[in-house]
Amino acid sequence: MIYFYDGTKEAFLTAFLLAWGDREAVFASQNAQLSLGQTCTFVRTDAAAAKRAEQRFLSFDKESMRDLGTMLRSGDANRDAVALAYFRLLAEKKRPVRGMLADDAVRAADECMRRVGLEIHRFHGFLRFMESASGALYAPFSPDNDICDLVAPHFRARLGGYPFVIHDVKRKKAAVCDGKTIFVAPLERAEVALSADETEWQSLWKTYYASVNIPSRERLKQMRGYMPVRYWKHLTEFR
Amino acid sequence: MFDICKEARYNRGMISEEKLSLLTESAKYDVSCSSSGSGRKNEGGIGNGYASGCCHSFTPDGRCISLLKILLSNDCVFDCKYCVNRCSADAPRATATPEEICELTMDFYKRNYIEGLFLSSAVHRSPDHTMEQLLLTVKKLRTEYRFFGYIHVKAIPYADERLVNETARYADRMSYNVELPSEKSLKLLAPQKSKASVLLPISKLAREKEIFRAENRKGKFLPAGQTTQMIVGASPEPDGQILRLSQRLYRGAGLKRVYYSSYVPVVRDPLLPDVPGGALREHRLYQADWLLRFYGFSAEEIVEDDGNLSLELDPKCAWALRNMHLFPVEVNRAPLELLLRVPGIGARSAYKILEARQYASLDFVHLKKMRVVLKRARHFITANGKFYGAKSDAAVRGLLTAGERAQNAEQLSLFAAENAAAALTGEL
Repeated sequence: MIYFYDGTKEAFLTAFLLAWGDREAVFASQNAQLSLGQTCTFVRTDAAAAKRAEQRFLSFDKESMRDLGTMLRSGDANRDAVALAYFRLLAEKKRPVRGMLADDAVRAADECMRRVGLEIHRFHGFLRFMESASGALYAPFSPDNDICDLVAPHFRARLGGYPFVIHDVKRKKAAVCDGKTIFVAPLERAEVALSADETEWQSLWKTYYASVNIPSRERLKQMRGYMPVRYWKHLTEFR
Repeated sequence: MFDICKEARYNRGMISEEKLSLLTESAKYDVSCSSSGSGRKNEGGIGNGYASGCCHSFTPDGRCISLLKILLSNDCVFDCKYCVNRCSADAPRATATPEEICELTMDFYKRNYIEGLFLSSAVHRSPDHTMEQLLLTVKKLRTEYRFFGYIHVKAIPYADERLVNETARYADRMSYNVELPSEKSLKLLAPQKSKASVLLPISKLAREKEIFRAENRKGKFLPAGQTTQMIVGASPEPDGQILRLSQRLYRGAGLKRVYYSSYVPVVRDPLLPDVPGGALREHRLYQADWLLRFYGFSAEEIVEDDGNLSLELDPKCAWALRNMHLFPVEVNRAPLELLLRVPGIGARSAYKILEARQYASLDFVHLKKMRVVLKRARHFITANGKFYGAKSDAAVRGLLTAGERAQNAEQLSLFAAENAAAALTGEL
């Protein structure tokens, strides 16, 4: 049976309980390929059941809900299967399984969470803000994983009272911070009127980027390894 | 029209593109660009520390941009033979004002271009004057601009101790350049510098930090410590002597890092060698340096007093081959200290093994799936009692050297395009 759910933690936990005992269960929150003869069901979130499952998992492993949250942010096509296998193992062992790296399910989950964590860390560095006429900062990006609200707290702590918007162009949503609170809102497209100095600072940054390079020592492969080309689109130094 | 624009720019304290490019070009050969080690909090301004460090961009030479690396001035009174900014060189000179540096840092930081500032300078007019200007700049940045991001300041040799100590109250990290590993070479190539002018202030600054800590004073004093850098291959010191000096700096003065930059002849001088120091030697020194800091090795174990590191084998392999009586070790039982000494097993793999073996007895299939690199390690470990290495010590040596040779052939070709204009310093 294929269990379609909406990708939230609660729906995952509801589906997990429904699929208990179904060894053939497939979880899907994105598009899934249906094969002949396969039946599917659309899971409707049952808040009470989800809460129960959450308590149970937390009693096995205090970090389990954080891990689930991270896995469900992944943009990997396999993430539903990875999360299901990991939580089935956790339910079976009834104690933290994080260290069991000899197990395939644990390694897959570890890898999946590591990717999300790595991308958050990368965007702490690769995000580029532009200053709008009102003084608010605006940064567009298109990450592999759904992380716009997970990168925002770092910038709230750092930027003091500055209001800012981190816009996930691909998922058409944004993390908005008024200087204190962060909320997520759908955002199709943003028109930003730039501040008077903005283009000059951008051009100074490009000058800096060009000057600090040592041209005779070109190692493009290494550069692309650290900073994948798919991220370049939103980087000021390449625009 | 153009002039009016320039005027307006100057009034706002925005640095000109020409000046920025000149002062960056002069600073770019400095090796260090790390922004780790400081947990400074944002106290009602802009910026904070990022303990693990953070890279903001990468240039086509493969190096990361973490900090805004810039000189306050490239107008030098010193005449170090190997340096592009030496006073006898015919080069365009520029000096920035503290305001220009502050504005630049703030506006770059706000846009998330950089993680902080790496401020250095040529010795402009006099050491004290230069240090004063550096102090003025970072003090302004911290107190007037309320900047709490990362700041690395280069300390100027011979500058007054009080100026240096006060700068340390505002900076996250400071560094004196050791430059050359012995007094004799310094005398020959950097006539204005001496061992006393670089090593003594390093330990003085370390002591000052200890006093600051002991007295429990308010504020901060170099939370990310000190670093230094050495040029390798411009003078005849062997690797053994260099590593011993590094070890002394790590143990005695609590340095966080020593950077090595392989010498490349930018300047022709009868006192300097005409051939570059070689990227491979630099690479081996870094490998040995990592063994000192993270793997529990001592300099004495890695290389003899007046010896050099083997270019054919990495230092850990070379050590293991000299100590075959300790191997093979059983991955399911060996203590961490010993796992860390197995060639091919890095810190990450060692910790992974430690974790995983609590739950299951590990065999070679597990290790491979856990992405432990077995190419070298298989000669030095058993997993569940099984051994997949070569039969004799001689065979192991042969296989390891052959593997390295294939790798190095490729590695060297990467640097073949390097020419004389390429840098004194390099980072691997």
